[in-house]
Amino acid sequence: MTDVTNETLRRWRQSQGWDVPRMARELRKAARDSGEDVAAHHGLVKMIPQWERGNRAPRERYRLLYLKIFTDALGGLPHGMDAVDLVLRLAEVRSRAASLPGPGQIRALEGAALAKPGQTMTPAEIRALAEQAIAHLHQVAGKLAELSALLGDDQAGQDKP
Amino acid sequence: MNARDDKIRQVVAELDAHVAEVEASVAALKALLASDEVPAEEEDPS
Repeated sequence: MTDVTNETLRRWRQSQGWDVPRMARELRKAARDSGEDVAAHHGLVKMIPQWERGNRAPRERYRLLYLKIFTDALGGLPHGMDAVDLVLRLAEVRSRAASLPGPGQIRALEGAALAKPGQTMTPAEIRALAEQAIAHLHQVAGKLAELSALLGDDQAGQDKP
Repeated sequence: MNARDDKIRQVVAELDAHVAEVEASVAALKALLASDEVPAEEEDPS
């Protein structure tokens, strides 16, 4: 998991809707399932933010537990290093998709940009930019649904848009 | 690597591209709004 950034750990956790104590519980559950000893709950609650901020790197056993949770949460993917890369990329892109503004927010940005005098873009260009963003947003929704169907999971409801 | 895995990779790549397009367009719209935040020059009182 050398290519996983600290930011990825945080964004992935948040994309699951998990707070830090929940992440700690999931790590302890994954450890219990595989018969491993890990830090106590309160210790993990302190360590997880440190890992996510990059103050310290998780040890190998915790990296492996994260991978197990990532893989299980995304479901149905094969195991192995190649699959690990895919799981992490999938988690990262899903997290980014969940952070996108909705069509209403894009329309609000468009309206605010159009209302401002002295823009470097013409109104037509601003409208086209907003249209383009919304069109791609629809494509994002379609691809998320396609992925959920492929993975056979029920996470589509957690994803935006 | 089976056909399903290949399909997942393909869809992830397409999703990544569409997300990047939305991010870029939204960043451009926000930049238009931010460009107006440069403080206006003070009028010369003389």
